[in-house]
This record gives sequence, structure tokens and C-alpha cells, in this order.
Amino acid sequence: MAEFGHHAFIRESGFAARTLAAIAGMEQVTDILQFIGVFVSFSIAYVSYRGVRQTQSSSLLRLATAFVFLGFGFLIEGFVGLGQLFPSVSLTATAVVVGGLLLETTGYFFLAFSHAVDVVLSKKMGTALLVFPIISLSGAQLADVLSILSFYFVLYGVVETLYSYSHSRKPDTLLIALGLSLIGSGTFFQWLSFLYQDVGVLSLLQIILQEMGLLMLFTPVLRFAVGGVKVDGPV
Amino acid sequence: MAQYRTQVKIIADVLSTARDSNTAGVGVGVTTLLRKGNMSYNRMSKLLSELVGSGLLLEVNGEKISKYRISDKGMQFLAAYSSFEDFAQSFGLRL
Repeated sequence: MAEFGHHAFIRESGFAARTLAAIAGMEQVTDILQFIGVFVSFSIAYVSYRGVRQTQSSSLLRLATAFVFLGFGFLIEGFVGLGQLFPSVSLTATAVVVGGLLLETTGYFFLAFSHAVDVVLSKKMGTALLVFPIISLSGAQLADVLSILSFYFVLYGVVETLYSYSHSRKPDTLLIALGLSLIGSGTFFQWLSFLYQDVGVLSLLQIILQEMGLLMLFTPVLRFAVGGVKVDGPV
Repeated sequence: MAQYRTQVKIIADVLSTARDSNTAGVGVGVTTLLRKGNMSYNRMSKLLSELVGSGLLLEVNGEKISKYRISDKGMQFLAAYSSFEDFAQSFGLRL
């Protein structure tokens, strides 16, 4: 019986080791997955910028700005991940990580700000309140603060997008709201991973949710690519 | 609840009216544009001269009054506006 228990322990230890190795391997894959976020963000920024050139729309300008910041944020995070794959390239400095997070948070801020300005223009002030989180800075690290700020900005974007969907009933708007929800969940898990110093499962969840959400945001851009909408040159 | 129209939305509305109301093919008068555009005469006059100046509208000089027709460039603008309005709406935004 004792021998059976010993074998079971070895089997379980082997399973745990394989699981950890798999997680480590997946982490490396997810570091590369960051570049999907870079591609999606810059694609959305490009289409939005084309829209700005053709229609002079300030909403699209804010959207383009948001995704330029997000794109550069993801790019830095991607390079930090690659730096971990190649230890000779030391890109894991805290300042670089915080810089990437700062860019991301700024991107999410512009995303929320686009909605806030839209709300003010349409006079529906009831939903215009950006509820900022109460953050205790004592002992909190900058990365924690940035990720929880990102979470609140995305959450605000989700609420406003759902409100917009209740008026327009466009399936694409609902899809974007769902995508933003996934990104929001991702930023929440990112905050948890910073909080508990966990770079395993939580980070993995964060990146998977974030990439799934970003791919959903890519749908309107695909319409331009597949639908063959001409977006070249100002009218 | 009332919503303010953005400048680009006003331009798109005027161009749409010029396109849709030009059933006879001789252009649309200012009165029609004013009625459907929902703005003051002074503001409409200023906007019309801007749109003619930028080539989005064509001014057709009649016997007594000027009429307006949408140009090819105006049609292109409306097509682009429609696409980007759809794009912005997907993100829950207005153009």
C-alpha cells in the first residue's frame, strides 16, 4: 500500500513537472503572441487614420491615437518577452516593462476618452462619469496601478459600447463590447499576476484573453480588407 | 435625448439630400436643402459655398435661382463616410 502511494507520488510529481514545463513553453509562445496584438492594434490605427484623412472625424482620431499607443505598448511587451527567450538580450529592465504598461494604459485611456467625449457631445451625462478607482499608492507598485487603471478604462469602454449597442443594435458593436470585455478581463488578470507575483497561470490567462479580445476588435478592419472598401487618399 | 450633429455629419446630410432629392436631374434648390438639413439660411449659404469650393457639390445656375447637384467627388465622400461611420459605430462611436 505504501509502495503504491510512493509510485503515485512519483507519478504526480512527474505530472506536475510536465505541467510546469508545458506552462513555461506556453509562456514563450504567448510572448510571441503579443505581436498579434501589435498587428491588430496598428491595423485598427491605420484604418482609423485613413478615416481621419477622409472625414476629418475627431472620434476616429482619438481611436487611431488609442491604438497607436496600444500597439507600441504591446510591441515593448513583446520585445521584453523575446528578451526572456534570448537571455543575451537584456530587455527585462523594470523601466522598460513599466514603459510598455504606461503606453498601454494611455491607449486604454484614449479609448475610454473617445466614449467620454462622445457622451458629452450627445449630452447624455448620466453615463458620462468615468469612475476612477480609489488607489492606495502606499506600497503599491507602479505596474499594479497602471494595470488596474487599464482595467477601469476598458471597463468604461465596455459599458459605453454596450450602451451604444442598445441604440444601434449592430452585431459588430456587440462583438467589440465582447472583445473589450475579454481585454478587460485580461488586464484584471495582469493586475492579479503583478499583485501575487505570479508569472505562470495568471499571465497565461491574461495574454490569451487579451489576444482573443483583440482578434474580435479586428472584425471591423477585416470588413475593409474583405469588402474592398477604397480607403486611399483624402476626398 | 437630443444629439448634436458633428460638422462632418451635417456635410453628409446635405450631400445626401442633394443626391436623393435630385429626382428631376436639374439639381436641388436651397429651400429643399434648408428643410431637410435643418439649419439656418446663413449657415447653409456658408456651407454651400464651402462645399462648392471643395468640389463636393456642383452649382447649377438656373433662370432665377441656383440649384445644387452632388459631384462625383461628393459621391465618393458619401461612400467613404458611410464606410467609416459603420467602422466608428462598431466601436460604439459617432463620426
